[in-house]
Amino acid sequence: MSEVRLSNLSKAFGDTVAVDDVSMTIPNGAFVTLLGPTGAGKTTILRLISGLEQPDGGDVFIGGRSVADETPAQRNVAMVFQQYSLYPHMSVRENLAFPLRSPLLKTPAEEIEHKVSEVAKVLRISHKLNNKATELSGGEMQRVSIGRALVRDPTIYLMDEPLSSLDAKLRSDLRVELKRIQENLGATLLYVTHDQIEAMTMSTHVGVLDNGKLVQFGTPREIYENPVNLYVAGRLGQPRINVLPAEMFAGAPAGATKIGLRPEHIQQGEGKGSTVKRIEHLGDQIRLHLTLEGHNVVTLSDPHAGLEPGDTVAIQPRNPLFFDASGIRIT
Amino acid sequence: MSDTSIDRVAKATPPSVAAKIRGLSDRAIAWIFVLPTIFLLLAVNIFPLIWTINLSFTNFRANRPNREVDYIGLRNYERILTDEDIWLTMQATAHFLFWTILLQVLIGFTLAWLINRKFKGNDLWTTLIVLPMMLSPAVVGNFWTFLYQPQIGLFNYGISFLTGIDPSSFQMIGDVKLAPWSIVIVDTWMWTPFVMLICLAGLRSIPDYIYEAAEIDRASQWRQFWTITIPMVLPFLMLAVLFRGIENFKMFDLVVQLTGGGPGSVTELTSINLKREAFEKWRTGYASAYAIILFVTVFGLASIYVKALNKVKER
Repeated sequence: MSEVRLSNLSKAFGDTVAVDDVSMTIPNGAFVTLLGPTGAGKTTILRLISGLEQPDGGDVFIGGRSVADETPAQRNVAMVFQQYSLYPHMSVRENLAFPLRSPLLKTPAEEIEHKVSEVAKVLRISHKLNNKATELSGGEMQRVSIGRALVRDPTIYLMDEPLSSLDAKLRSDLRVELKRIQENLGATLLYVTHDQIEAMTMSTHVGVLDNGKLVQFGTPREIYENPVNLYVAGRLGQPRINVLPAEMFAGAPAGATKIGLRPEHIQQGEGKGSTVKRIEHLGDQIRLHLTLEGHNVVTLSDPHAGLEPGDTVAIQPRNPLFFDASGIRIT
Repeated sequence: MSDTSIDRVAKATPPSVAAKIRGLSDRAIAWIFVLPTIFLLLAVNIFPLIWTINLSFTNFRANRPNREVDYIGLRNYERILTDEDIWLTMQATAHFLFWTILLQVLIGFTLAWLINRKFKGNDLWTTLIVLPMMLSPAVVGNFWTFLYQPQIGLFNYGISFLTGIDPSSFQMIGDVKLAPWSIVIVDTWMWTPFVMLICLAGLRSIPDYIYEAAEIDRASQWRQFWTITIPMVLPFLMLAVLFRGIENFKMFDLVVQLTGGGPGSVTELTSINLKREAFEKWRTGYASAYAIILFVTVFGLASIYVKALNKVKER
């Protein structure tokens, strides 16, 4: 495992800039998540690190050495593709063994068999080992494709939305499993997702991408509590951060035009009166949909508060986030 | 009973117009449409097959239609299977089949592999390479007799240019040793493009991301070729072999125009031999038995082969 450093990495496809001057360091043993919507350049960054794409500018360093002239094989990275990319003419077992059979490794047959069955057990596909790769469900294919990366001992694991096509239960199980494997191996892992829960729960670091630019890089807590701008603030948090005009409440700093309110920034029981429009029961909590002077506000509350649609709830901000006209955070 | 969509459509359809006009049911109309095809199939395929089987047990001669016909049991079959000349013909056919298929697969796959590298003008190259198979086999056979001509033939000249041998020192068509190769060369020239096209379809069916995954899995180009390209093209390749095998087992026009079966009978393939027996010697009963033997052989071989092909596809 190695530290991976991106230095001013840029890549364009025709007129579309996919990756725009991205610099970041993935520390050895870290679980780094790249978060962003479709088209933000997440996948392209993975492909640039793996060597499947060549950058227009900048460089990639793995373990301190530039890999600009190295092939994917020389870089020794493992990658989980979004579209699985299994070898369709091989069985699950052969798919998992394929990377180990590389003549570069000279892995003995017993060790291959051992590793394959171990990984299959972790990913719960042991009973499918003799199946053809095409005779699997989408979720099973994705697990085989994760397994094909995990059997290896690479410099870094690159994973492109590996849990996206699994059902909710399996996804939350594998989330925990993947995190456990990563910690046990001390593996360096770069993980791409648009799922904020995956980003928050698994990562040691999160990088937020917007149109090919790395907007913010830090621990999940930092990103959540101290977003540098409105875009980052909007990517994390459920329900989404409420954005209101700053002048609605007293106490806004100079230059602030917008106020960002997460549920924990909204104190209920005092302040301005708002009307309850709708209530969603989540079990341990309720999600309150309010209107405050014509603006929609969504927050959380206690299911035993006895609120009904039409009721009035007084709310006021508590340590909210302020942003200027261009969306930059003001502290 | 649940209504299928077909039932619903049927109910929504008004009573047939024909029924109102001519008093015919829909089923009758269906039969009217199907019957001509069934009749044709019976007349052109099924009846001749049964009649041939029948004739193969007789000593019937088509040029003596009025002579009394005797049923002679399996005598025709016995005679054919013990005839050394027919075995020589079979050997010539086997030689022709083996070498044409081998060369066409090797050259065809190599060409497909080269064309599949993305380079400028590969569409033009594909068109050029495919030209020979668009010609008529009889025409090809005919003009290759000129190419093989010892004094003025381009083929002999080319060989002489490459090796320094005197162009008039060898005769591709006239020489007993070279003639079997002359038909192999022409058939390969003509039909390699066909194998290439099928291989190209196979190669293009392999998505790029499979190779990307292999690249990441640290497989060399060599290993990618043997563990991904070949296994994934194999079903296509086997299909090409099946097509070429069946076609070449029936080979007639090209060889008749090129060598006429000669010199002697070294290029007399079974289909040519059969035609001689049936329509030059007029031994109709004997030729019928011969045809049945060939039919069973091709059918049997093709069945075994198709089974193998399906196994490869299922893998």
